[in-house]
Amino acid sequence: MRDVTKVLDVVGISKHFGDLEVLRDISFQVQKGETVCVLGPSGSGKSTLLRCINWLERPDAGQIYLSGQEIGVTAGGVVMGDRELSHIRTHIGMVFQHFALWPHLTVLQNLMEAPIQVQKRPKAEVREEALALLAKVGLSDKRDVFPAKLSGGQKQRVGIARALAMKPDLLLFDEPTSALDPELVGEVLVVMRELAREGMTMVIVTHEMGFAREAATRVLFLDHGRVVETGSPEQFFSRPETDRARQFIQRYANDAANGRR
Amino acid sequence: MIHDFGIVWSERSLLLSGLGNTTILSILSAVAALLLGFMLTPALMSKQAWLSWIVRGFVDGMRCVPFLLFAYIVYYGLPSLGLRLDNWTSGLLALTIYNAAYMAEILRGAWASQPREPIEAGVAFGFSNLSLFRRIVLPPLLLAAGPVIGNQIIQIVKDSAFLTIIALPELTHAAASIQSRHYVPFAAFITAVFLYWGLCLVIEAGVTTIDRLAAARR
Amino acid sequence: MSAGDLLAILQGAVVTVTLSLAGILIGLPIGLALAVLRWADVPIVARIVAVYVSVLRATPLVTLLLLLFFALPNIGIAIGPISAAILALVMNTAAFNCEVWRASLMNFPKDQYEAAQSVGMNAALRFRRIVLPQIVRVSLPGLVNEMSLLIKVTPVLAVVGVVDITRAAVRIGAQTYDPLPPFLVAIALYAPIVFLLVSLQRWIERRQLRMAAA
Repeated sequence: MRDVTKVLDVVGISKHFGDLEVLRDISFQVQKGETVCVLGPSGSGKSTLLRCINWLERPDAGQIYLSGQEIGVTAGGVVMGDRELSHIRTHIGMVFQHFALWPHLTVLQNLMEAPIQVQKRPKAEVREEALALLAKVGLSDKRDVFPAKLSGGQKQRVGIARALAMKPDLLLFDEPTSALDPELVGEVLVVMRELAREGMTMVIVTHEMGFAREAATRVLFLDHGRVVETGSPEQFFSRPETDRARQFIQRYANDAANGRR
Repeated sequence: MIHDFGIVWSERSLLLSGLGNTTILSILSAVAALLLGFMLTPALMSKQAWLSWIVRGFVDGMRCVPFLLFAYIVYYGLPSLGLRLDNWTSGLLALTIYNAAYMAEILRGAWASQPREPIEAGVAFGFSNLSLFRRIVLPPLLLAAGPVIGNQIIQIVKDSAFLTIIALPELTHAAASIQSRHYVPFAAFITAVFLYWGLCLVIEAGVTTIDRLAAARR
Repeated sequence: MSAGDLLAILQGAVVTVTLSLAGILIGLPIGLALAVLRWADVPIVARIVAVYVSVLRATPLVTLLLLLFFALPNIGIAIGPISAAILALVMNTAAFNCEVWRASLMNFPKDQYEAAQSVGMNAALRFRRIVLPQIVRVSLPGLVNEMSLLIKVTPVLAVVGVVDITRAAVRIGAQTYDPLPPFLVAIALYAPIVFLLVSLQRWIERRQLRMAAA
């Protein structure tokens, strides 16, 4: 009997910026071990959706549950304060489009900072794990280097390792390779593919169709703030159900043919 | 307390004349300092080493000396060298010379960050010397340096208050006079503070307008 | 001008340096606190801070000093020249420092802050471990500039009777009827201190430029 645990439950999320409605009544679930890729044209609200999950953006309506516990609102119905939100966020890791490494800390210090300061774990133990993580992403020799000296691909791998250092239940990726030069994209995708294979629960906003096709267990297609279509990668890419999905995939095929992807 | 402000109100003509003197002093020395600065800046950037060296010495020197001390020297010290000036002339002179150094530095910095092409284009189109300076060089320079010059003018207004020590009847002197005669220190000086604040808000509004003009042309 | 006169001016220098240091050291953290209050947009308080900074930056130090020295005793707070001097310096420099700190806070990269949020750091941790170390670096040139400006306004303390360099020089000039030499000695004391700070500021700016380019 397969252990099916619902890690993330998103129910009816809506969000607007001014009079622009960015997210409209979005619902979906993520089981443990799944790799969900969120696809869609620019402006479809993908990043906003991701940032709502860990309440970096506050949803205007709807609920979000992490392993059964609601994020952002307490059991008593009160909006969570900074302290409670911070506590929940320790269970969700995030990888940013522009890496967001802390420049005044070395690579190793970047990894160790939160486990020590937030989770209050012993320094020696954290250091050992951090070194192991660096080895895992292939950057052991860069451990005492400052982020400014790294290439984009290296920075992002450090970003992933930093998120993993917190041992999160869920990993969020906000267009992790969009800011990278094409030659550097591969090294980051390798790490992400490995994580998927190991059973990490991930929600990835990306433009990398090839990656989505190979590594995703499920695809979520967003357009103008709504989930237009969802399904397995084979389903979505070869037998899309809606017109908009079809147009989107067609354009991807064209871009790939013209060497743009 | 209300009574105190009533006394200040009854002395409003003294305060207003003090404010007027502060304003006149500031405007006159600001304009003079800016003009002097315009003359010093080319010397500052001159290829003639001896000239740029002297002017650089002057500019750096003025920036290392407290203004109050400089004002003292002009008013009390110069007579030892045979030059006796009244407090108005000393005050104006001190303010002007001191801030000319700062204006020269500001203009030099603004000039250094100006693009060269528009000026070369001006020369190519036949503009020369005075018309080149007035129509092509000066406007963008002033637009760019506007905020910094505005800040310096505010600094001049505040420096003018130091001149109360040489008995120049500016705003702070007026407030001090009211306080010493009627013993209403809070009312008198708070009023002066708010008048200074008002003056600075006016200057900042002017700077914002110039900045808006500059932004439209960027 | 005798050796005794020279000594008097040097004693004045000690007073100048001490009061300047007091003003700088107290004004720095207060300026930071004011900037944080505005940055965090604490209701009501942020507006009060904004008005305070605007007024203090427009007020000449001599006017502020006279206000404090004469008005506070009038409402029952006894205050001597030294305390009034330090209070005036602190109130003044805190307002200017606030703007320097605030500029670096406003320019702080948002995504680094969000990364700190995303790993579960609370507000205190985010500020202490991520924001503060970096804004200190960025604010340094502006803060050092403000220090040099502070030293240049300390002569005004002579107005309430504090015997600093300027008042000592003025006193000697009045006694000897030869004001120029003591004034020149005074310049010789102020100028190196200010020059040192200005040079320090330029060095910091150059070093930061080099590190950014690397």
